[in-house]
Amino acid sequence: MVTVGVLALQGGFSEHLSSLRKAADYFTESQSPIFTTRTSFRFIEVRTPEQLASCDALVIPGGESTTLSLVAAQSGLIEPLREFVKVSKKPTWGTCAGLILLSEEASATKRGGQELIGGLDVKVHRNHFGRQIESFVTDLELPFLSQSPNSETNETNTATPFPAVFIRAPVVDQLLTDNVEPTHGELNGASLSKAVLESKPKAAREKVEVLAILAGRHASNKKAAPGGAPPGALEGAGDIVALRQGNVFGMSFHPELTDDIRIHVWWLHQVTKALA
Amino acid sequence: MTNDISSAAAAAPAPVNGTTAASQTSSFTVKAGLAQMLKGGVIMDVTDAAQARIAEDAGACAVMALERVPADIRAEGGVARMSDPGKIKEIQEAVTIPVMAKARIGHFVECQILEALGVDYIDESEVLTPADDAYHVEKAGFSVPFVCGCRNLPEALRRIAEGAAMIRTKGEAGTGDVVEAVKHMRTVNSDIARAKAALQEGGDLAIRALAREFGVDAALLKQTAELGRLPVVNFAAGGVATPADAALMMQLGCDGVFVGSGIFKSGDAAKRAKAIVRATTHYRDAKVLAECSEGLGEAMVGISVSSMKPEQKLAGRGW
Repeated sequence: MVTVGVLALQGGFSEHLSSLRKAADYFTESQSPIFTTRTSFRFIEVRTPEQLASCDALVIPGGESTTLSLVAAQSGLIEPLREFVKVSKKPTWGTCAGLILLSEEASATKRGGQELIGGLDVKVHRNHFGRQIESFVTDLELPFLSQSPNSETNETNTATPFPAVFIRAPVVDQLLTDNVEPTHGELNGASLSKAVLESKPKAAREKVEVLAILAGRHASNKKAAPGGAPPGALEGAGDIVALRQGNVFGMSFHPELTDDIRIHVWWLHQVTKALA
Repeated sequence: MTNDISSAAAAAPAPVNGTTAASQTSSFTVKAGLAQMLKGGVIMDVTDAAQARIAEDAGACAVMALERVPADIRAEGGVARMSDPGKIKEIQEAVTIPVMAKARIGHFVECQILEALGVDYIDESEVLTPADDAYHVEKAGFSVPFVCGCRNLPEALRRIAEGAAMIRTKGEAGTGDVVEAVKHMRTVNSDIARAKAALQEGGDLAIRALAREFGVDAALLKQTAELGRLPVVNFAAGGVATPADAALMMQLGCDGVFVGSGIFKSGDAAKRAKAIVRATTHYRDAKVLAECSEGLGEAMVGISVSSMKPEQKLAGRGW
């Protein structure tokens, strides 16, 4: 039995629980050869350190990252979360605000800054695209889904782009390590600028693996960021919107707001591999 | 909608309420999606940058920019309108969380102005003086999402049909008395139970009959009956003044709470704001609720709704 928690302090936690349950049902029904032993999952809402302690893996949902930080601190969860992610290195997935909390650094934060959990050696830029009126849905190619068990049963699953919902979304605008998976420097024809890849060596941790880049949104970046584009985002360069480092997985958009469960299926598969 | 009238006028059908019907499924996903990200949170009324910062520091998931809080609107009387854009900009610059603002019922030009200012959500609100006694704003054509108040399921579904991406109870704003918010939430719940029963017992025919009685779109009513809840996020509003009030509304099934006058009309605003945020997360944990209800100082004095004349109530505005 694998216990997967969803941090339920504020935000879109019920949507993640519902997508995870659908993904687990998909596992049960799937005859995928990847699963020699049947894994059964239990999904719980996490509001206390005790609930967190019972989890093998965790999802940090979207919401307001400032609210999540403050309520986590009030609930005595910041240190247990750091322990969970960085010491025990249990699989953790953050979407939108969850990505912000899992980053080592964040820009465009509220006055006085905000507390982060960390785990990903990156700097995120909050509200990168601007206000709600700049929120959007776009089709995104996600090559990493080809590692998913979906592809074993249904080839067309991975060929279809993912409907990525960006809501006042953050992006990764700087990698804080030079320990980057080299094959992912170019994705979907969009390349990262040299400045993004500029190294800032840190204590050697697992490699950062860029999993998805969103191209062609540069004009709105400029408009949104006071004083022009954020450092590292050069003209024509794409924005990092999904990445992983070891067991920590982060993305800017909201798969839980769609009926598409491919990413949830992929992640549960990663969880079972990590715990094996 | 687009703010560029010339390009819109060329191809689009005749504008309704000054907007062009350019809405798509994806745009509704994005509008309703922001409300989904606000769930489990507290949205606080603020009148200036200093209050907005206190709200953000206390963990508010959004702020509502206002010229006067409802308690003052009630006390001072007169026509209550959209805030001065300067005030809204000041608040937008002060915080990084979403900033909402209120427009008068039916005043689609106030909505156009708020959209141009880049507010993250518009509340077409009965707290301000209505500008149209026949029509609410046609909201689907705007790019900015809308939240609207309701006293029951029919009002909620009519607002959703007009394009609202989020609903809240009307309650009775500016009183500090939670009784009306409770009544509205219970009414929505029992209306939904009726719709569910109708669908189970009589199928589409019964839904159509109930839709006629409610004066709502049958497809939306059926969707609600199937989901067993409103098809969009539903917050509590109007009279929430304490952590216990917030937790009460959450236990009744609300997705989050608006706190208007309750915070900045109380003794220690920052402490009360933090306590209400914490109570909204841990709404089922009575021990935490006891802790965060302790030593909050003076609550807003308030007005008991039972002592009010019908014409003093704001919830009767809109339909």
